[in-house]
Amino acid sequence: VNIRSTKTRLAVLLPRSPSRRIALAWSLGVLCIAAATAPAVGISRDESVYLEAAENYAHFWMLAVRSPGKALSLVDRYYAVNREHPGLAKGVYGFTHALLADGLGITGHLQGSRFGAFLFAAVLAGLLSMWGSALAGAWGGSLAPALFFLVPRHFYHAHPAVLDLPETAFWFATAYAYWRSVGGGGDHARSGRWALATGLLFGAAVATKHNGWFLVPLLFGCWLAVALPALLREGPRALSARFPSAFLSMAVFGPLVLFATWPWLWPEPLPRLRDYFAFHLHHENYPWMYLGRLLRDPPFPASYPFVVTALTVPAAILACMCGGLVQSIARIVRSLRGYIEDVSLPTEMLLSANALFPIALIAWPTIPHFGGVKHWMPAMPFLALLGARALVNAGQVLVPRRPSAVTGTLAALALAPAAWQVAHVHPFGTAAWNELAGGAAGAASMGMQRQFWGDNMARVLPVVNGHAAPGARVWFQEATWLAVKEYQRDGRLRGDLAWANGPEDADISIWHYHQEFRDKEFRTWTDFGTARPATGVYLDEVPLVEVYARPGAWR
Amino acid sequence: VSDRPDYLGPSYMLGTPSEPPPTRAQVWRARARRLLWPPTPEVLAALFAATVTGLGGYGLLFAATLSSRLPSPIDWEAAAALVGRDARPGDIVALAPPWAERAREFLPERLPTRPDVPLVTNSFLDYATEELPGVRRVWLVSLPRAPGYSGDIARELASRSTAIDGPQQLGALQVTRYDLQTPMRPLYFFPDRLSSARVQVGEETCAADAAGGLRCAGTPSLRVAREVREVDFLPRACISVVASSDPARPSAIDFPDVPMGRALRGHTGAAGDGGLGAPVAVRLRVRVDGEEVGELEEHPRSPGWHAFQFDTSRFAGRRLPVSFQLSAVQPTREPICLDAMTLP
Repeated sequence: VNIRSTKTRLAVLLPRSPSRRIALAWSLGVLCIAAATAPAVGISRDESVYLEAAENYAHFWMLAVRSPGKALSLVDRYYAVNREHPGLAKGVYGFTHALLADGLGITGHLQGSRFGAFLFAAVLAGLLSMWGSALAGAWGGSLAPALFFLVPRHFYHAHPAVLDLPETAFWFATAYAYWRSVGGGGDHARSGRWALATGLLFGAAVATKHNGWFLVPLLFGCWLAVALPALLREGPRALSARFPSAFLSMAVFGPLVLFATWPWLWPEPLPRLRDYFAFHLHHENYPWMYLGRLLRDPPFPASYPFVVTALTVPAAILACMCGGLVQSIARIVRSLRGYIEDVSLPTEMLLSANALFPIALIAWPTIPHFGGVKHWMPAMPFLALLGARALVNAGQVLVPRRPSAVTGTLAALALAPAAWQVAHVHPFGTAAWNELAGGAAGAASMGMQRQFWGDNMARVLPVVNGHAAPGARVWFQEATWLAVKEYQRDGRLRGDLAWANGPEDADISIWHYHQEFRDKEFRTWTDFGTARPATGVYLDEVPLVEVYARPGAWR
Repeated sequence: VSDRPDYLGPSYMLGTPSEPPPTRAQVWRARARRLLWPPTPEVLAALFAATVTGLGGYGLLFAATLSSRLPSPIDWEAAAALVGRDARPGDIVALAPPWAERAREFLPERLPTRPDVPLVTNSFLDYATEELPGVRRVWLVSLPRAPGYSGDIARELASRSTAIDGPQQLGALQVTRYDLQTPMRPLYFFPDRLSSARVQVGEETCAADAAGGLRCAGTPSLRVAREVREVDFLPRACISVVASSDPARPSAIDFPDVPMGRALRGHTGAAGDGGLGAPVAVRLRVRVDGEEVGELEEHPRSPGWHAFQFDTSRFAGRRLPVSFQLSAVQPTREPICLDAMTLP
């Protein structure tokens, strides 16, 4: 009887709609898996800075609750850390850290901050499922999140407390809310609420990272492309009737949310906004390996994001995504030519444009090319959606009597190798390359970027703890001092190990393979009198991290 | 006029030869065209499904076979034991693919029987033009089944070898020994003799520092040392030197007693990120027994390992002092990587 009543209570808590149940399952699944697999993922350079910023921001908001006046006078002190990016996502990380690590004490410091990142991943999974269900039924809702999160690099981005997956989630959420606001999903009654949500979510997107600003021309372009014939036909008076209220909402709430969640702007809004945009308009170009060339300065090859996408997304998933994109573009073309009528042109436009625009944007030769796939990740959920719909449609067309059997088989064939890759490369997500590249080994032969920003060092920490001489000075090279401090605070790195500024004053050198830094590895050989690593981290035999030690420093 | 031929008349109706029977390829092409064109939804869905199936199957096959294509620690240990047992002075180890630098973790750094003799493991990309001074034999440790492997390095080594021993299969590794046809045998390799040199900036003599280099008083950035430095992405054992920008006080490295041959050959290159700094050209002058035998200019904006060679045949067979003078056009902190040798 008790079990039954518990089941009944649980059933009441669950959403009634099957699509929402699938979405909830996906959200919870992603949240749990990300939380369980996060400890293996090391701290990257940018994450170490965001972790520091997050705790500062949380302290600010706690002070603001207790003593608003005092908090206002100390804005610069708390928000000076990482003022290159707005404060929303880092604020969330600070909040989860304050709650779970400092308050409840149920997680370590790193996991506490990262819980915010798991939440963003969970939200994205749920939204993907919802939109997938709306486009292609239960199969669509089940497959769309899988096609996104079983890409090893996307799976990796579900863990660190950085800005790219939250930005992807807010971008996707804004597009979803916009779609609903213009009647997508057939629910016209609530379009006003969805328009409001569009503005708020757009605000969250621009309050997370500057990529969000591109949503304005993108969504406007999508609307205009569909509405233009009618506007030309009916004249300017039709504009007021047809203009989506979501754009007004974005215009109002976008800047408001940015301003409200980023206290750094409060003392001098315009000068600081100007500095913020100036920083990103003149962003530094980091050296980056691409097909055997070290890219340092523009013009960068326009092929870069297309080639890297083709070589990092598991091949069968890539086929699904490309097939879905081609299908969507074909539907647009056929609809414009009047061949088919049962196509929602605004939906197809929205999906195709969002699937292509972020990639095309990074292809622009003067835009900095670095950071793997993360800068065009907002495109990938849309490609996953289109891929899921293509799989469902293939089943419906090929065997109309048993479409699920075909869709299920194709999905299994697409997702099984991807899941294998995820399991194989975790936690080295920044070093993941697909089977078309030949994995990490094939990519190394092609002269592609092997990894970036120092997080793969986490794998050698237990060995270093076990072998380093007491009080040894360690040069962590690509890992930041903030990351080292974080590892020590969580007990993952011995506290007696000291920071060294370079191989010349170190006893142990943890060298992260970066082609542009090889001179530092070779100087380590000279300084330590040996080119033989004491240990290393290898992915498919490809060196990622090499640990060198002076005689006597490794026991 | 009336004799014009009737073009429609029977005498002009030549019989057309019958069509030859279609070839098998033509039959299949026609069937495929009928099946695929115009592309119906069913055809497109089938193509999509076939692509997903093919790539999914390939992905599974790739993942399932990857570990067997790569060496295990035991394979590396076996290669290390083999090379350690049979290597001799004048041997080096090459890797194919060059990224397989895990080898350094296992292979001996020195000959087990002669701990004073180093056994260098190189990760060069190209052995066709690499000079390999002092090398007589090359042990190639290769991963022939690794993704992205190409046999280029093996072919390049084979093309410059008289004898090839192997390959010996050690699990997923292969070890092959190449005996070079015309090894370059320097009489004197300057970087290895830096400890016997005198380094001066103008009249000031530089003193040895704790790290094994020579530091010049009054100019903290001016240091001369025998180091392995990165030049154009590759490790080069060289004399790392920051050139003085004072024309009256050039940096000079004097080797007192050098066995001379027909040529003095060497290389220069900007070390590390030196090529990315301010474009400061460095001028190198080489003197033998006080007589200038050549000069060159190293432009940091042209990355690479630039070879030079000066004729010293008039000094051949004698032991003479050799001096390298370096001067920068403008002040610079970026080191130049310099190697040089005398050749018989």
